[in-house]
Amino acid sequence: MSLAIVDEALVLSTIDYGEADRIVTLFTRGRGRLSAFAAGARKSKRRFAGALEAGTHLRAQLVERRGEVFRLDGADIVQSFHRLRDDLPRIARLMYCLELIRELTRDQEPHTQLFDGLRDYLQKLDAKEAGPTSLLLFELDALAQAGFMPSFAPCALCGEPTGERPRFDPSHGGVLCLPCSTRVAGGFPVSAQVVEALSRLQAGERTPLPAETRARARELLNVFIAHHLGRKLNSVDFMEQVGTD
Amino acid sequence: MTPDAINRLVAQLARLPGVGEKTAQRLAFHLLRTPDLARGLSNALVEVVDRVKLCPVCFSLHDGPEASRCGFCTDGRREDRLLCVVEGISDEMAIERTREFRGRYHVLHGVLSPLEGIGPEQLRIKELLTRLQAAAVEEIIVATNPDVEGEATALYLTRLLKPMGLKVSRLAQGIPMGGDLEYADQATLARALSSRREL
Ligand SMILES: [Zn+2]
Ligand SMILES: [Zn+2]
Repeated sequence: MSLAIVDEALVLSTIDYGEADRIVTLFTRGRGRLSAFAAGARKSKRRFAGALEAGTHLRAQLVERRGEVFRLDGADIVQSFHRLRDDLPRIARLMYCLELIRELTRDQEPHTQLFDGLRDYLQKLDAKEAGPTSLLLFELDALAQAGFMPSFAPCALCGEPTGERPRFDPSHGGVLCLPCSTRVAGGFPVSAQVVEALSRLQAGERTPLPAETRARARELLNVFIAHHLGRKLNSVDFMEQVGTD
Repeated sequence: MTPDAINRLVAQLARLPGVGEKTAQRLAFHLLRTPDLARGLSNALVEVVDRVKLCPVCFSLHDGPEASRCGFCTDGRREDRLLCVVEGISDEMAIERTREFRGRYHVLHGVLSPLEGIGPEQLRIKELLTRLQAAAVEEIIVATNPDVEGEATALYLTRLLKPMGLKVSRLAQGIPMGGDLEYADQATLARALSSRREL
């Protein structure tokens, strides 16, 4: 039994398979993340011409095969987002958000809103309309959609304001007030100003943050994401290597 | 019971990229039936492992004496002022087949792949920079693949090389010879347009 489907998809990553083929990890709109076998994708440039590049928005023709990965029969490019390949910071952000989505989602768990969020973010990145604060916004949104929303205010345990000396404790869901964090003996100190900035972003405010605040916010999110995924994302290093956030 | 020797061979073959358990078994039994092939293969494998090494300058493969430079590096007819940077040996071979390029090479042995955790320190980039301190290179041709990773690598190299006063160029990208505009993807066509040339 095999079932043919057509779905919108964003290419998360690909790996070469054998001499001629490729296995591509797609984030589909209707079925969430899935892996598909793209026969001949390495050899025949015509069949999937440029379609399997990281971040590309496709209309994918897929065949579901029992007990095996999907088969990718065809792919039409909706948008290739190739303009963002013109500079390193944008490539770094592209890679980072693709890895984030790849790791946050599970096979065949649909996340339609998250799909739309990623597509919209890539559109902005391609049009040079997304700066570093937009990436933080996208991440907070993605974490919420995937069910890992960090709490910045009020205290994740007692619900009181976190005060002058908040602490961050990913194993208790986010920022805690000093008494709570002393009681559970966890977390590390964070600046009240960074906590404030992140909770305003989370509430939907779209004001660009100063570089110093972004850097601290990035550290916090790195710790939070690493805690939930069990490892640091690889592309975090790349963002540091190219000096961007 | 399958003899252990066969199991060991199957297990080793199955470690090759793109070879699964089934294929490995088929290959193993084929080798068993053709002793000439098996012996030839085993000799070739040992020879490759023992004799082929990386050139300490450009990181191409060669089978000369230990610590000696490769043919590309020692050939006096090649130009020192041109250096072509490639991802891997197969790309170097492809460029060499054109007979158009008469400069030197530098093989990175990979490409920046942020998602796989392959960063600059996993590639032969440090060695490239060291090499350039002493060499009479004027122009670097970055011949990485025109995919996202290849672009990232080219941009990263450009950022390092430009401040050294070197001319950095990138292989032209666009419609393949004998190709068809109608079937070209957006990205390729856009690149071809932006790197159009006057006639
Ligand atoms: Zn509390
Ligand atoms: Zn050499």
